[in-house]
Amino acid sequence: MDGKEKLLSIIKDWRLHAIVLMTVLITEYIGQISINIGPGAILLLPMLYALFIGLGLYFTPLVSEKRSINSEPLIVIGVGVLIAKIGVVIGPQIQDLLAVGPALLLQELGNLGTILIALPVAIWLGMKRESVGMTHSIGREPNVGLIVDRYGFDSPEGRGVMTMYIFGTVFGAVFLGLIAGILATATPLHPLSFALASGVGSGSMMAAGSGTLVAAYPEMEEQIVALAGASNLLSLATGLYVSMFIGLPLANKIYAVMTGNEK
Amino acid sequence: MKKIIEWTIILLIFGGITLVGNMIGYQIYSPAAVPGMLILIAIALLGMIMEEYIPVNIPAVGYIALIGIIVSVPWFPGSGVIVEWTSQIELLAITTPILAYAGISIGRNWTDFTKMGWRAIVVAILVFIGTFLGSALIAEVILRIQGII
Repeated sequence: MDGKEKLLSIIKDWRLHAIVLMTVLITEYIGQISINIGPGAILLLPMLYALFIGLGLYFTPLVSEKRSINSEPLIVIGVGVLIAKIGVVIGPQIQDLLAVGPALLLQELGNLGTILIALPVAIWLGMKRESVGMTHSIGREPNVGLIVDRYGFDSPEGRGVMTMYIFGTVFGAVFLGLIAGILATATPLHPLSFALASGVGSGSMMAAGSGTLVAAYPEMEEQIVALAGASNLLSLATGLYVSMFIGLPLANKIYAVMTGNEK
Repeated sequence: MKKIIEWTIILLIFGGITLVGNMIGYQIYSPAAVPGMLILIAIALLGMIMEEYIPVNIPAVGYIALIGIIVSVPWFPGSGVIVEWTSQIELLAITTPILAYAGISIGRNWTDFTKMGWRAIVVAILVFIGTFLGSALIAEVILRIQGII
């Protein structure tokens, strides 16, 4: 993590932490709002309100330029706590993970499909390094952690992955429910293949995707639910490392080739 | 060493804010939430220290996730208590303060965000389709080889 940061001045900026504490109090008090659409739901979570309250505060005298800079290391450190939490969620399920079998591990590589489809389009549309942050993965918490850790939050890559994370958090479930239904009926692929594909590493997205499939193929309900759940757990457990060692380097490579430079 | 102490203090500030949100938003008043948070902080700190001192290009989150998994697998001594305590901390209670700090930080570069505009929506949709379709294609091959479909 960045050693240049004046950590001491960040610790002493108690007003910053007080502002965040107030924001957390208000947003958690409001709580989660979900708007059901088809098999999924548009999810409005306290974190979304917190983001916009924080953003709004920047344009008030309460948050100075310096205070805004001070908050960046807190994001990196907070993501560390978040990833620790995800780790201790995975650990107890290790037996289920091993039971799934090594063959399904290969299926995780399918998650790299985003790099082949979305990254070239992003570059064609004129995006710069934002495209790498945005398309190297489906942009869940571990991927945010990886990008923020490697490039910093205040970077084009960081902006890209945050955009994907917010979009996915709000619309992910609705969207996955929608495309699961369309693709399962419009392509010759087997519903169980889509059940595995529904496990992208987010509980709400997996539930929406597999929910649509169950509605379309009720006779396969048990298999669909079991495969989607196992795949989701596998994605959560391996997603970080697949991104770290394959996804991000691959995205960087394609970016370098397509734009004709190394960075 | 000074850096580690400063990291610890920042982690504790973050942890304190998270604990308050954890109570307000998720009605978790269990005293176990406090040691639960301290365990998460210790795991995060250890991962950050490892990144600092191990001369391999692996980001802190890589170590942190691994430590988290190791200390919570059923065979690890004391994992039962670790899982019980840390389960008192809601995942979403951790993300709220992160995004509050993120909002304050984003303000400075808001114009850079808005520059992506409609393109971001097109790309986000393609990320979903690419991930989903890519997974389904490979799944189809694997399930056929295994004779499941």
